[in-house]
Amino acid sequence: MNAPTPYIVAENVCKSFGTNQVLKDVSTHFNTGEVTVIIGASGSGKSTLLRAINRLEPHDSGIIRIGGVPVTDDPRTLQQQRCEVGMVFQQFNLFGHMNALDNVALAPRRLRHLARAQANEQAMTLLRRVGMQDHAQKYPWQLSGGQQQRVAIARALAMAPKVMLFDEPTSALDPEMVQEVLDVMRELARGGMTMIVVTHEMGFAREVADRVLFFDKGRIAHDAPPAEFFNNPGNDRIRAFIGRMGT
Amino acid sequence: MLIALWPRHWSRPQRSNATLVAALVLMVFMLALLGQILSFFPEPIGSNAQAFSDGARTTLWLTLVSGAVGLVLGTAAALARTARWIGLRWLAGFYIWAIRGTPLLVQILFVYFALPVLVPGLNLPDFAAAVVALGLNVGAYNAEAIRAGLLAVPRGQTEAARALGLGRGHVFFDVVFPQAFKISLPPLVSNFVALLKDSSLAYAIGVVELTNVGNRIQSATFQPIATLTTVALTYLLLTTLVTQLSNAIEHRFDVEGRIQ
Repeated sequence: MNAPTPYIVAENVCKSFGTNQVLKDVSTHFNTGEVTVIIGASGSGKSTLLRAINRLEPHDSGIIRIGGVPVTDDPRTLQQQRCEVGMVFQQFNLFGHMNALDNVALAPRRLRHLARAQANEQAMTLLRRVGMQDHAQKYPWQLSGGQQQRVAIARALAMAPKVMLFDEPTSALDPEMVQEVLDVMRELARGGMTMIVVTHEMGFAREVADRVLFFDKGRIAHDAPPAEFFNNPGNDRIRAFIGRMGT
Repeated sequence: MLIALWPRHWSRPQRSNATLVAALVLMVFMLALLGQILSFFPEPIGSNAQAFSDGARTTLWLTLVSGAVGLVLGTAAALARTARWIGLRWLAGFYIWAIRGTPLLVQILFVYFALPVLVPGLNLPDFAAAVVALGLNVGAYNAEAIRAGLLAVPRGQTEAARALGLGRGHVFFDVVFPQAFKISLPPLVSNFVALLKDSSLAYAIGVVELTNVGNRIQSATFQPIATLTTVALTYLLLTTLVTQLSNAIEHRFDVEGRIQ
């Protein structure tokens, strides 16, 4: 087996909101083809790390590298990096004035300058992949939360990213819709997609993750494969957290 | 009103397009035929029908030109007020503050009488001076309507667009502006209708628009009731047609089916 190659590397990343330091010297790496699940209490900095990776939330100090290139404000490299990194949000954030198909086709049309017909065809393929082909002409308000999130995943896949970031993708969903989204994510992981998933779904972490990170007060408190992480928690805080999450 | 005329099985875009076309055709017809229609009216309207018709045309023309100027100015000022650069924010804030804090009549008189003194050689004809003053005025109000729309677009929309790698221009024109425009449309239409009526103040600097025409005929014939009623009804007709147009546009953008 080949040695895993680190695709995203974070070195001593710090980030503060006012006096509140949410990331404290975070250093870690994410390998190609691996699924990393990040868990931890709210406010522990896990979403902020995801948002720093694609610079929605610029970090204060330290370095984040994607494929060896540092993440900075330089517009050209940033656009390139954002195309390589797809992101799925807790609140879906589908464009409300466009139907599902246009939501997925927008970025390829604008950034790859695809003709509408070609972009639509490609978007249809992606919608089929997330099981939303029958709803292509519907607007976001006509879709359930789970359906919207599946369209949002298709949209994030449209630029053929090498990594997918999931920021609590099921936290805003009714319980019966959680599975349909997790199924799509499982399918992606099976296809070899590199994924970083912030979630409270412990079952998903156990089953799909190659690695589990536990965030606590802005630091990575524990980093282990899921079997070890859940069966032999590193300390009492983690034990208590897992207990509260009910697995 | 017009929208309800079309068959129910027509789609939303079909019905709004049909309304748009119908309202435009009605407006052109009305402008073309107003003189003829009014000439059948009893004295003193009948003999002055052509003057009324010319006045109405001037009023509409004045409104359209200054409305277009106001839309451009308003969009620019709204963007400046939400810009990152503090100088721009300050400039737009000053413009809105100065225009909204002073009477429109004073602004019209200022552009016509004071501007040539301040800037020698800048002698604007009465119509152009009215366009400048009205455009500046409605621009300040439009700026706040558009800013409200821009601020009402959720932050998640821009974040999702940026996360896809879209640049500033695409984020604005593909994602933010269409949604902001939809939200800004009702207040923008209110401003436009107000502008149509406020254009009557151009009569103070001698623009021969509808109110001016009515007032001249009224004082020449000593028949204030007939002439002023005709003026008022013509304004009502113009605002009604403008509202039909804007309703059609609003309906066109209503992908959520929220307008009943």
